[in-house]
Amino acid sequence: MPATTSTPRSLPVTSWLVTEATPSERAPHRARLAAVGRTLPPTRLTTGEVMASTRHRTRIDLERLTGIRERRVSVGDEDSLSLATGAARDCLARWGGDPGDIDVVISGSITRYRDGLDTWLEPPMSLAVAEAVGATAATTFDLSNACAGTLTGLFVANNWIRRGAARRVLVVSGEYISQLGHNAARYVRTIMSRELASLTLGDAGGAVLVERAGDDDACIEAAGFTTVAGHSRLCLAYPARREPGARMFTRARAIQAAAILDTPPLLAEALKAAGIAIEDVDHVIPHQTSARAIRKGMADVTAALGGEPRNPAVVTVDRYGNTASTTHVVALAEELGAGHIRPGDRVALVALASGIEIGIVLLTVDADLVDQHVDAT
Amino acid sequence: MSTRLEAVAAIRGTRRRHRSGLRLANEAAQLALRRAGRRPIEVDLLLNAGLYHDGLLGEPALAAIIQDDIDANREDPSEDAGEDVSPQGTFSFDIANGACGMLTALQVADGFLAAGTIDHALVVASDADPGRRLAPAFPYRPAGAALLCAWDDGPGGLSGIRFASRPVDDGGMRAIVGFEGGRNRLAIEEGPAFLPEAATLAAEVACECVEQRGLAVRDVDLVVASPLRQPFLDDLARLLGVPADRVVRVRGGAETHTAALGLALDAAQHSPAWAAARTVLLVSAGAGLLAGAALLHPHG
Repeated sequence: MPATTSTPRSLPVTSWLVTEATPSERAPHRARLAAVGRTLPPTRLTTGEVMASTRHRTRIDLERLTGIRERRVSVGDEDSLSLATGAARDCLARWGGDPGDIDVVISGSITRYRDGLDTWLEPPMSLAVAEAVGATAATTFDLSNACAGTLTGLFVANNWIRRGAARRVLVVSGEYISQLGHNAARYVRTIMSRELASLTLGDAGGAVLVERAGDDDACIEAAGFTTVAGHSRLCLAYPARREPGARMFTRARAIQAAAILDTPPLLAEALKAAGIAIEDVDHVIPHQTSARAIRKGMADVTAALGGEPRNPAVVTVDRYGNTASTTHVVALAEELGAGHIRPGDRVALVALASGIEIGIVLLTVDADLVDQHVDAT
Repeated sequence: MSTRLEAVAAIRGTRRRHRSGLRLANEAAQLALRRAGRRPIEVDLLLNAGLYHDGLLGEPALAAIIQDDIDANREDPSEDAGEDVSPQGTFSFDIANGACGMLTALQVADGFLAAGTIDHALVVASDADPGRRLAPAFPYRPAGAALLCAWDDGPGGLSGIRFASRPVDDGGMRAIVGFEGGRNRLAIEEGPAFLPEAATLAAEVACECVEQRGLAVRDVDLVVASPLRQPFLDDLARLLGVPADRVVRVRGGAETHTAALGLALDAAQHSPAWAAARTVLLVSAGAGLLAGAALLHPHG
């Protein structure tokens, strides 16, 4: 892992990301975040409990390594579909509109468990969510992009709204993924185990509703994504052979090294596309893998860009663990609920996922969205 | 101005030679690029719509691995790759919309092409027995297809993509990986009403698609449809009121899945009727029920 430096390094001028930013003749509209919702299972599982469940005596201090104290887990009461549906309902209740007016429902979930640990590959989960929330007129599809799935859905939603092909898009995900930790607990022996990352996972559902913005509204200012496919085989997940659910094999250090190398120039590129500097960003919400990785990554961004956002990077991984494709929505809802995000604030959502996928969504938040999360009392 | 298919490629696997869905996807992708005379680094967006792959990989997106394997901007963006540098990297992800996935991927690709965000998109789909004894009764033959898409300022191309859904019990057909007998197994089940109901929904959305573009079904010269199963294609022709010989058939196509639309397009391009075809109707139906349709004016 490269050491962080205190002086900005020269970033190559690239246009590497597939980027959508300023309106154009062919994409004249902008999209705004109309509502955010999430579901968290009530059951808490501490990192101490997870490590006590490993078959082998590991001597790994996972809490110190990752900063994760606990995560929420389904104990059979939730599955991917119920978490996604719950988040969608929360999102739509805050929005208050008619679900029949939703044009598109996209699921970006990695896991597709229904009825316990049955993975439904067909029919798609998006259709079941749309049906459950009454989005009966919507075009539906699932996409799959590891932990970048929800933000990839947001990227597609933004494109459809910009072109006028859709007015309102619901992007959902439900991750019942903590069961990978149950499986990994049988195999993890040392800190070098490729299944160690599975012990950091938590369950959650996330949903965002995006709609066409008015001229003066807050909006998605820029969104850019790329796949650095030379690293495509650093994190692989499959159905388990001998256990229910799945297993995931991660070369965490190699992913982290690639992320630290690639994220700063790509973030710089996205900021440039939006015509802003890192100092103009109020809140950075990175993918939540570990508190240490987030702080190191942000230090490197600061060194590379020669500046920092107005607030420290948002960390929710300490409470919820890595909830896969839902982390950004879970954290956004958390920050809105805590009153940390104010009208007019600019948020940078930064995806980092197996692939490796790197994506950046820069958006501003308006009073309507903030008010949905302010306690009426 | 619309999305044009620069190249269509189909790979028909044999169970012996093509045990890997990834290999089929890679071969189809490379064949489409060769046919279009494009280099892999020209692919800005790579979408995989295939569902059944080696080991039933859950992450990353198989599209990322295909991008890696066909060498499409796989290097770190911060590296100086020398003179052969693309101005833009490649973004890859999977569409998982059952047998309608290829049409959905075309819709997503069309969106980024229409906005001027990208110049070229590669849509790939393949299925093969996932191996590892995961699918003891895997029903599909190995097949892969790829479509290379570009924006074209001229008339013609792809237009009017739309979808419809009609929730039915268990989606009419379903594919579930469940734990049974001490291991995870993929089971694909289909109810007797699936094909006729899928044909009904497909015909409805196809008619809407045609009418929305100010055309009539009689203006359709060729119907390129999936699934490539005779009862579905017969029902579709009857419900649309088009002669059965206007619907493209592919020998052995009945046992293909997400790549079927690509296989049908490839067969259509090689058919005598293609040269004179002004309006081609693309139709897909799958579990859900889901159905989608689009028009293709291949010659402008």
